[in-house]
Amino acid sequence: MASCVYFCDLRGKCILSRRYRDDIPSSAIEKFPTLLVDAEQESAVVPPCLSHNGVYYSFIQHNDIYLVSMTRSMSINVAQSLAFLYRLVEVLTEYVKTVEEESIRDNFVIIYELLDEMMDYGIPQITETKMLKQYITQKSFKLIKSAKKSKNVVRPPSQLTQSVSWRPEGIVYKRNEAFLDVVESINMLISAQGQVLRSEILGKVKVKSRLSGMPDLKLGLNDKGIFTSGTDLADGTAPPTTKKSNIELEDLKFHQCVRLSKFENEKIITFIPPDGDFELMNYRLTTPIKPLIWCDVKIQVHSRSRIEIHCRAAAQIKKKSTANNVEITIPVPEDVDSPKFRYFHGSVKYLPEKNAIVWKIKTFPGGKEYSMAAQMGLPSVTDVDTPKSKRPVQVKFQIPYFTTSGIQVRYLKVNEPKLQYQSYPWVRYITQSGDDYTIRTT
Amino acid sequence: MSDQRVFTRHKAYEIRAELQQADNKRFKASAARQKNALKKIIANITMGYLNEMASLFPEILKFWSIDDDMEVKMACHQYALAMAPTKSSHFEEALKLIQDDFASSNERLRIMALNTLSSIPRPSYYSACQKCLESVLTRSSESADLKRAALHAILNMDQADKNSARPYVSFLSQIINEQRQFPSVRAHALSVLDALNESHKDLPPMSLSHDTCFNLLELLPELNEWDHTLILNGLTANYVPQTHSESHHLIEVVLPHLQHVNTSVSLAALKLILYLINYVDSIHESIVKRLSSSVVALLNKPSELQFLVLRNVILLLLGRDKPFLQIDVSYFFVEFNDPIYIKDTKLEILYLLAKEDNLRQILQELKDYATDIDIQMSRKAIRAIGNLAVKLENSVDDCINVLLDLLDFGVEYIIQEIISVFRNVMRKYPEQDSETIKRLVAFNDSVQEPESRSAMIWIITQFSRSLPNFLTLFRVFSDNFGEESLEVQFSVLNSSVKFFVRTRSSETEELCLKILKTAVDNADNPDLRERALMYWRLLSLVQQRADSNISLDDIVEIVDGELPLITLNTRLDPAVLEELELNIGSIASIYLKPIGQVFRLNRTMTLPQSPVLNRNRDSLEMIPDTRSSKSSASYSDPISTRSRAGSSPVKKMNDHDKPAETVNHLKMKRRTTIGSSKVTRKPSILSRRISIKRPFT
Repeated sequence: MASCVYFCDLRGKCILSRRYRDDIPSSAIEKFPTLLVDAEQESAVVPPCLSHNGVYYSFIQHNDIYLVSMTRSMSINVAQSLAFLYRLVEVLTEYVKTVEEESIRDNFVIIYELLDEMMDYGIPQITETKMLKQYITQKSFKLIKSAKKSKNVVRPPSQLTQSVSWRPEGIVYKRNEAFLDVVESINMLISAQGQVLRSEILGKVKVKSRLSGMPDLKLGLNDKGIFTSGTDLADGTAPPTTKKSNIELEDLKFHQCVRLSKFENEKIITFIPPDGDFELMNYRLTTPIKPLIWCDVKIQVHSRSRIEIHCRAAAQIKKKSTANNVEITIPVPEDVDSPKFRYFHGSVKYLPEKNAIVWKIKTFPGGKEYSMAAQMGLPSVTDVDTPKSKRPVQVKFQIPYFTTSGIQVRYLKVNEPKLQYQSYPWVRYITQSGDDYTIRTT
Repeated sequence: MSDQRVFTRHKAYEIRAELQQADNKRFKASAARQKNALKKIIANITMGYLNEMASLFPEILKFWSIDDDMEVKMACHQYALAMAPTKSSHFEEALKLIQDDFASSNERLRIMALNTLSSIPRPSYYSACQKCLESVLTRSSESADLKRAALHAILNMDQADKNSARPYVSFLSQIINEQRQFPSVRAHALSVLDALNESHKDLPPMSLSHDTCFNLLELLPELNEWDHTLILNGLTANYVPQTHSESHHLIEVVLPHLQHVNTSVSLAALKLILYLINYVDSIHESIVKRLSSSVVALLNKPSELQFLVLRNVILLLLGRDKPFLQIDVSYFFVEFNDPIYIKDTKLEILYLLAKEDNLRQILQELKDYATDIDIQMSRKAIRAIGNLAVKLENSVDDCINVLLDLLDFGVEYIIQEIISVFRNVMRKYPEQDSETIKRLVAFNDSVQEPESRSAMIWIITQFSRSLPNFLTLFRVFSDNFGEESLEVQFSVLNSSVKFFVRTRSSETEELCLKILKTAVDNADNPDLRERALMYWRLLSLVQQRADSNISLDDIVEIVDGELPLITLNTRLDPAVLEELELNIGSIASIYLKPIGQVFRLNRTMTLPQSPVLNRNRDSLEMIPDTRSSKSSASYSDPISTRSRAGSSPVKKMNDHDKPAETVNHLKMKRRTTIGSSKVTRKPSILSRRISIKRPFT
């Protein structure tokens, strides 16, 4: 329960604010820039929560702005405040495309309106963009004279108070379609010796629904829990599952539209989707996986003369599939000069601003192994004190039509009780590198 | 006029003139100009020119009464709210207008009026507000939004006047129980009541009945995600289970909410479950697994939320002797891209998680961090290794070896930190071999910082027996006694006396006297001078008077006695811990500080008494996963009973050359085109049609 929400620029100066409660003086935000600087000087660690004079500032950073929510009490749910700030950014992105200082300044009227609707007395209210768009448009409202019938008065759509708060009624599409995107991101941490320290698959099922009315959707996946639990529990002896194609998903997280209790009891994913794009569910898998793009980097430093880099990369995927847009970023020391490269595939560039060389390979067929060598000169005079940089090698890639976990959509049933239309579900799979697909260097 | 132009400083008379000018011209364009003038007023108030704008109250009142435009009304209410501290005499006139607004049929306007009424601290406003509140909350025809606004108005009034909200307490609990009320109104009533309870110590603790609790939980599917949090939060510590089965049942009901994508919902569910666990006799292992895995899943959130989750993980780890969470350490390995505050917290968790069996892995990680490019990080990692050595007695050799390895790295700040850390390690384990000590003192000349310097002095003094040249080593510090920092001066003083009482030679005596003399004669710091004098008198007691009853042995005992053992205390006070566990996901959990320390007037949260409350938190029995136990229908679902043993992510990869088998290649036929991601679209729409036309079975 936040007392107020502020938008601040990079130095912490206030751009725009909305106060929900009166318990914090408006001067409190003026302290924020100094607090930021102080915290930074003190330990170089600026946690997303600061306190001063009994006021707690919790904030997130997005592009060149800070979103700050303040509160007086320590017992407030800061998870909620932070989650709200992220949702706020999401909603604003829908309204103003990129959320940054300039767009905030240019759209302050609508942002005030949004802040009014999204939070009430510090408690988040409606945060679904589709619902907000129903009655927050760029135009202002005209009040209809009270003498007239009150029927046409602008008021929040009645759905807001109904059970399906995320979907308005009366949506009509000529062609009813639902698009499913199964996106898996691989995070991997590999030690310099080629040992996989950690690997995980982060999966997402994104849905774009273009369906009329109030459809009830049922999604079938080849998840072990979902498919075999019925028989398992019936006889109680739990026969080992023989179907190889079934996999186990861990830590499923669902969008608010999914009926959690139904999933808990019957293992069926049913939901009334919001209109348009949304993320239906995400999951995580920790089964050990081999590096899909394996990469062996040898860096030899001949002190004060040159540095040699040998890199071998292999696509450890089936021959039929290919990895696209493979990008291997290898860190090099600052101030190297005269780079020379030797390679047969892709392109290699030295990026001085990032202190790295980047090897890009547009298509990398499965089972192939490519290699690259680079040589660069080092300055003959070096500063003795600079410690060795320990930046890791980072790898990016995309593999279409492919899920590492083996998850498959078995069916997506669409049932609209009133309209009874035919609908078309579409499914697409892609595996890509996550934020952390890194190989440590020695 | 652009928005920027509005945000310039204006004088009151300028705006007044503008308003009047617009008033004179009776045509349509004037409305826009009036609004613009109003915008300027609000903008000026926002910029802090409150006094200047205060004189415009009569104009505002005029607009209020004549104009029915929503935007104008909004500006007027905004103005009134901003003027609240000025105690203007115009408020009485405004009250009438606000009440008129409340009587209108426009809902947004009514909400606004209610908010304004409750926020202006004047008695006449309060009484008006109370009337409105009663009419809104009792009438069932009013909308949910208005009722919610009324509930918040109660809190608003409570803030200004502690007694005004009191009459509503019983009324609120009535709303919570009322079936006909809108679900969201009931949720908000719960949270308002909870907030009132927190700020009024004298109110009896609200205890919800079993039925109320389950009724509220049944509402969850009808509420939006934020209201989920309100309910889950509101139930924590307010509903007291009376039997074990009650709490078991409740845990079962709440479990699915751990899977909510919204962090605040799943943290609130976690909090409620942890609270309920205090009221059960045994807990199923699968539940623990689910809790743990839901925490791990939360670590994939944006960094600020991740930070919050990590802080709460620390809290949970501190909570019990045998930590409740079973999370593999590798999730807390620091990643290159992590913001520094996350790295910091992860380091702390790694330290807490370290046990004999995972130490090797953690030490390897810490060693990596110690050579990190970031100096802060590297120092903290070294400190963590040192603390681990003190914490885990059986693995001290491993830790020391890592530290000694790091010494060879030769970077200055690493050496400094290692020396500082070694003081604690050697204090705990005095039986070090002389090789280690010799390697440490080799860096005698390169330590610069006060802390590491005094650590080095301590090491030299303590292990002087295995150092034949200890006096030469010591002179490095004692020669510049005057220029050292205070911390080092104290160490030098102390050590010189120790040397003297230990081995009484002319060399040590001379050294000791020199230091004492400098300290007494030249030191500016009174503490240092006093301490030197104290030593001096102590020593002269033995030397001069033969009849004194203090012998040299006594002095040795005083100056160079046995040091008490050190232990690292990572435990929190149980009462504090209890309170913090009830505050998971709050700011208190970030600072790991109890709320009572900061806000004395607030009620501290404690576990309410109940016949089934567990007194000893470690006595909880863990039921291993078997299907025979009761209510296995929901406990033993295959997702949660998976074994993690086989899925330890640390595996040696020997078979790089073989294509990965776990990769599942999917048939091409079901792919489709959606804009967002970068998969190439298939060229022919026709071919797509053919392949997709058939809906899934």
